[in-house]
Amino acid sequence: MSVYEYRHTSSPQEAADWTPREQWLTDLRAVGGRAYPRVTGLFREKSWLFFEILLPFLSTSAFVFVYRALEAPAEYIGFVVLGGAMTAFWLNVIWMMASQLYWEKSQGNLELYFAAPMSIMSVLFGMALGGMVMSSTRAVIVLVVATFIYGVQFSVDQWLLLAGVFLLTLSALYGLGMILASLFLMWGREAFHMTQLFTEPVYFVSGLNFPVARLGLVGALALATIPLAVGLDAMRQLAFVGAEFPIGTPAPEVEVLILAGMTVIFLVAARWMLRTLERMARREGRLSVRWQ
Amino acid sequence: MSGEIDATTTTIGLASPEWGGFDLARTRGNGLPDVWRTFRTAARLGWQMEANWTDPVLFFIYSVAKPISAALILVVMLDIISGGADPAFRAFVVVGTALWAIVLAGIAGLAWSVLDDRERYRMLRYVYVSPNDFIVILLGRGVARLAVGAVGGAITIVVGVLVLGVPFDPAVIDWPLLAASTALGLVAIIAVGVMLAAICLQTRQESWSYPEALAGGLFLISGVVFPLAVLPDPVQAVGLMTPLTWWMEGMRQAVFPGGTSAIGGDGSLWTAVTGTLVPDPAFVIGALLATGALVTLAAIGVFRVSEHRAKERGLLDRTTGS
Repeated sequence: MSVYEYRHTSSPQEAADWTPREQWLTDLRAVGGRAYPRVTGLFREKSWLFFEILLPFLSTSAFVFVYRALEAPAEYIGFVVLGGAMTAFWLNVIWMMASQLYWEKSQGNLELYFAAPMSIMSVLFGMALGGMVMSSTRAVIVLVVATFIYGVQFSVDQWLLLAGVFLLTLSALYGLGMILASLFLMWGREAFHMTQLFTEPVYFVSGLNFPVARLGLVGALALATIPLAVGLDAMRQLAFVGAEFPIGTPAPEVEVLILAGMTVIFLVAARWMLRTLERMARREGRLSVRWQ
Repeated sequence: MSGEIDATTTTIGLASPEWGGFDLARTRGNGLPDVWRTFRTAARLGWQMEANWTDPVLFFIYSVAKPISAALILVVMLDIISGGADPAFRAFVVVGTALWAIVLAGIAGLAWSVLDDRERYRMLRYVYVSPNDFIVILLGRGVARLAVGAVGGAITIVVGVLVLGVPFDPAVIDWPLLAASTALGLVAIIAVGVMLAAICLQTRQESWSYPEALAGGLFLISGVVFPLAVLPDPVQAVGLMTPLTWWMEGMRQAVFPGGTSAIGGDGSLWTAVTGTLVPDPAFVIGALLATGALVTLAAIGVFRVSEHRAKERGLLDRTTGS
């Protein structure tokens, strides 16, 4: 029997009194419903193949050629390729997680989200899930094509740890995206401009194209706060074992712990912020006012 | 007919002509003064949208953070590999990054104007049916963002000279070359922006990232942060066909004469074909003019086709989401 079947109740309060099973199933449907357009969108409009794979690949290639012009050791080309693949996730977090609630507000959907009988966290989980599928496609293609074209030689001893670091990096990144979604929503118009502030400066402090250890204190601060920096550094250490490059960052095992800590902290903080936002939305009503 | 005579009557604001009928001149517009007024208003609106969301300090940080960070990424890459031993190459990458901030702003400005009005503010349909030329409105909006990019680029060069050790001597600047390169280059950048705006008229909300993506592609072939000589010959040939390559070369030759060339040098297609190490300034301007003219014509054509298709398929008032 479907959990959504009509049942007679004597009051609205009784109707709203759902069982935990009903709540969970509704939230799961919300996750699937929000992930659906992102995954389906991959097949609906093909222009992304050109704009989100080919052109970013060219952009990554530009940094490969900078290292070639400088006659850098081969592993540095690998750093750039790895960094180029990971930018897909960061851009997705910034553009399609952090900015998304603000977008939804502008489009008039946010008030529907708050009114719907589901946890708003499930909407964010759905966005994250769909975003991960989208970005993984782009990242894998950039990684495979660039590795093939530029002859990147990976040297991996601990595949399992590398996979674990990658998954934890995604968890922490999208957890951060959920926090930023609430912040961007509160910042209003400023949010859109913040996306700009969160690209190149974050690439720089995260050591996208070079070992972050080179940045000293700035790099250490990035490792403590930005999942992209920690994840990239750990993946570099695991994917290019034996390569000579500036060290000084923690071992991958320690960085796994940092990423796990970030994931928990970000998810808890995101949940708290969303609840606060939901309370504000119900009390003040201004979250449904557009274009502020 | 009195209507024909009165149709040319100039009226103030929305008032009716003295004879009380319909002023046909309004539908035809008032020529260049109207175009200028439209452009000015759009540019002012664009500037307000760009700048009034925060206080001047944060706006300043916002404007310069992106290009400076991009330059720092390259400077650190350079330092890791070569220990920063080559100041000429450092100047090359800092100037390239600074100029690229202008390109990015110019390309994004027009495309984002379309997306802003269609997806965020849902005003595109009203803007389009207003008695102004749509492309003039877009150009006005785009110029505001271009100005912000130019400020960011200029400050990046200042930071490069003062902090990053870029050698700079104002006495050796070739001012005529600088003026010509700047003027022709800006036209070419705007033309690329118009082309992308035309594409964004056809595509969906995710088009926000398209300017960055396109710029990323052009970044590879325009000799922005490395000489074209490191690219395969066919890619170098494509690079030599873009006006941005010649603009960069012109700007570098004007401000840092005798510095590293992105076009010529050992292993470059240019040197192999012409036998010269670097193109001379006259050739640079000629190439910039020719490639810029081609891109501008192509942009006008693409825009007109896109505009027609958008009208035909109702894309101007479509909003998308994902």
